[in-house]
Amino acid sequence: MIPFTHYLVVAALLFAIGLAGIILNRRNVILLLMCVELMLLAVNTNFIAFSNYLGDMAGQVFVFFILTVAAAEAAIGLALVTLLFRNRGDIDVEKMNLLKG
Amino acid sequence: MNFQFPHFSAALPEIFLLSMTCLVLLTELFMKYSRSVVYVLSQVALLGTAILFILGFNNISYTTFNGHLIFDALGSLLGIFICIIACIAFIYAKHYTRDRNIPNEYYILGLFSTLGMLVMVTAQSFLMIYLGLELLSLPLYAMVALQKDSPTATEAAMKYFVMGAIASGMLLYGLSLLYGVSGSLNLPAVASAITTMPEKQHLVLVFALVFVIAGLGFKLAAAPFHMWAPDVYTGAPTAVTAFLASAPKIAALGMAFRLLITALPQIVSQWHELLIILSVLSITIGNVIAIAQSNLKRMLAYSAIAHIGYMLLGLLSGNAQGYSAALFYILVYSIMSVGGFGMIVLLSRRGFEAENIEDFKGLNSRNPWLAFMMMLLMLSMAGVPPTVGFFAKLLVLKAVVQTQMVWLAVFAVLLAIVGAFYYLRVIKTMYFDAPGDPTPIACASDTRLMISINSLALLVLGIFPGALLEVCRVAFGL
Amino acid sequence: MNPIPISMLIFYLFAGIAVLSAIMVIASNNPVRGVLFLVVTFIASSGMWMMAQAEFLSLILVLVYVGAVMTLFLFVVMMINIELTSQKRKFSYYLPFGAGIILLLVLMMLIALHPQYFSFGSMPSGVLPKGANTELLGKVLYTNYAYPFIVAGVLLLTAIIAAISLVHRRPRDCKSQQVTEQIKTRRELRVRIVNLPSEKKED
Repeated sequence: MIPFTHYLVVAALLFAIGLAGIILNRRNVILLLMCVELMLLAVNTNFIAFSNYLGDMAGQVFVFFILTVAAAEAAIGLALVTLLFRNRGDIDVEKMNLLKG
Repeated sequence: MNFQFPHFSAALPEIFLLSMTCLVLLTELFMKYSRSVVYVLSQVALLGTAILFILGFNNISYTTFNGHLIFDALGSLLGIFICIIACIAFIYAKHYTRDRNIPNEYYILGLFSTLGMLVMVTAQSFLMIYLGLELLSLPLYAMVALQKDSPTATEAAMKYFVMGAIASGMLLYGLSLLYGVSGSLNLPAVASAITTMPEKQHLVLVFALVFVIAGLGFKLAAAPFHMWAPDVYTGAPTAVTAFLASAPKIAALGMAFRLLITALPQIVSQWHELLIILSVLSITIGNVIAIAQSNLKRMLAYSAIAHIGYMLLGLLSGNAQGYSAALFYILVYSIMSVGGFGMIVLLSRRGFEAENIEDFKGLNSRNPWLAFMMMLLMLSMAGVPPTVGFFAKLLVLKAVVQTQMVWLAVFAVLLAIVGAFYYLRVIKTMYFDAPGDPTPIACASDTRLMISINSLALLVLGIFPGALLEVCRVAFGL
Repeated sequence: MNPIPISMLIFYLFAGIAVLSAIMVIASNNPVRGVLFLVVTFIASSGMWMMAQAEFLSLILVLVYVGAVMTLFLFVVMMINIELTSQKRKFSYYLPFGAGIILLLVLMMLIALHPQYFSFGSMPSGVLPKGANTELLGKVLYTNYAYPFIVAGVLLLTAIIAAISLVHRRPRDCKSQQVTEQIKTRRELRVRIVNLPSEKKED
């Protein structure tokens, strides 16, 4: 049996990579969406590991719902990306400066 | 299998709102050119839901749907106000959306978002909090971008989306750790699991708490997680800003109540400290940066950050008195906020957005009644008696002083005085500056009636705050 | 000394692939490559989930997530052509900063996530009920979790409406009658009455 903390470490790494990707990303918006997917994957891995080690199905049910919501979120995010591209002709993060801040 | 048949009556308002929303959806499909039918049906849906909440309002509290949904006074009170505020925002939006070709989806997505808020404030498990939060946020992202040909609106929507997605990621990571240490998704069960936990395991709880508070901070737009708010408020069409700056705040406070008070009462001293940081930063950043703004929407965004800071003062005091003060504050704030943005909507017309403070020059000579209403709104936001904004600030400060944190109260009062400056500047512009454009302002009678009720309510509530105070206390069993 | 069990080796293999390709996702300049690395991360994670006895979800992750959501990503990446020239910014420039963040976060997590803080130590405290994973999930999903299930359905409906209303546009060359515009028109825009003096015929 794999020690349970191994799962948590992998999840923590994935989460940190996703977060770092968002902070570092100076390129396009699609990459931001992918980093969000990485963060959610980390959360899901956490839930599945806990569910297995606690012997409780609730964690797996939660993952089921996170997958559903993440798919819906990705759909809206990609719709926004296409809209952004139509309005501006690029999806560069650094050029998103019509609104100061 | 221990399955109990649920009490559907507990979810009656939500069920009604969902069915009405589907009806509106079908109406929109088959009666393409009837904006007004869609509008009236949406209003009926919201008011009907509010009435159902009012009829069911009492002191009984029980959970049903296998512990996912709670029926209690707090949830009903939040639900009533969410529906009413959404209804007011829709009234302001009626002419604005028609003049700017914003499609009818504004109402439909708004109704879905309202449903998400109701699900969230009556949630009793991590799962329902998460689903409610997403059902509240996803339509809002789309609503900001509904003006499809506006580059600023699209950019604002993109920023809002990315920030919102990060926030829910953080919140979920915290929730997953809480599930790991407590072994349950149910809020009261988590609380009881923490009670029996040895002291040395509390480190991981604090770690989870940091993520949960960060997620909450993003949703409430409390500093240092506020970066998105000014951009989104400014970039979104004003009718959408009026909606997203008011009702979702009530829902976010509801989520904070459920997460912090129901699930994590044992580590109150830890979240108390985190909230002090959030509150002090929000009050400072909000009030100071607002002074430098010339765009009214942007100024109101920073003022929103400051107001959230004041509201957190009530929450962090950690007793029922403080919670009811925070509740009172957010209800009053949402009325002021929807009114403030409603005023901008009212002064705008096709092809012109009255979003700069300059545009309010000499409003008194152009339309004295509207100028008076705007003055009431600004005075209430600044917290000047006899408006209700004064009472709200007084209550949270009282709660802070009672927990022996006088320095925090003094600090909050000092910055409130700094904050009064920029509200008074707007009043000065309206009354003492010469108008740039002397034409009188024409606006539709229904919006003018609504803004009058909205602003006068602040005055009336300021003189007779008793009833609202009483229900806020009942919600916490005082 | 005990040899490392084979299951551990498999786990380390999957974990290594997942983490490495996740790093490649944020490091790659080309978004198409980024999506493909994300697919690899998902497949490797699906392997880890399988080892944690979440068979149904692990398969769903590959079938639905990789099969549908990632394909959607690829579609969008292909649909909008992103000029690659402007993106050739040095990744290494930001690298120390990024590595710092990752290290800090992971260190914090390692300290906080030590097994002594969890009631069950490092080994399971309970076992999942016997039976097929899919069956177990289905049994609770339609009974105890009926309310979330319905709300998730509403959420998907909302996402459909939101995405369509954002991206849908009327066909450009469609000539339709705009009744509201027609009614709103004023006389001055259409007819101009010109007062012309009548000319006399001169003989």
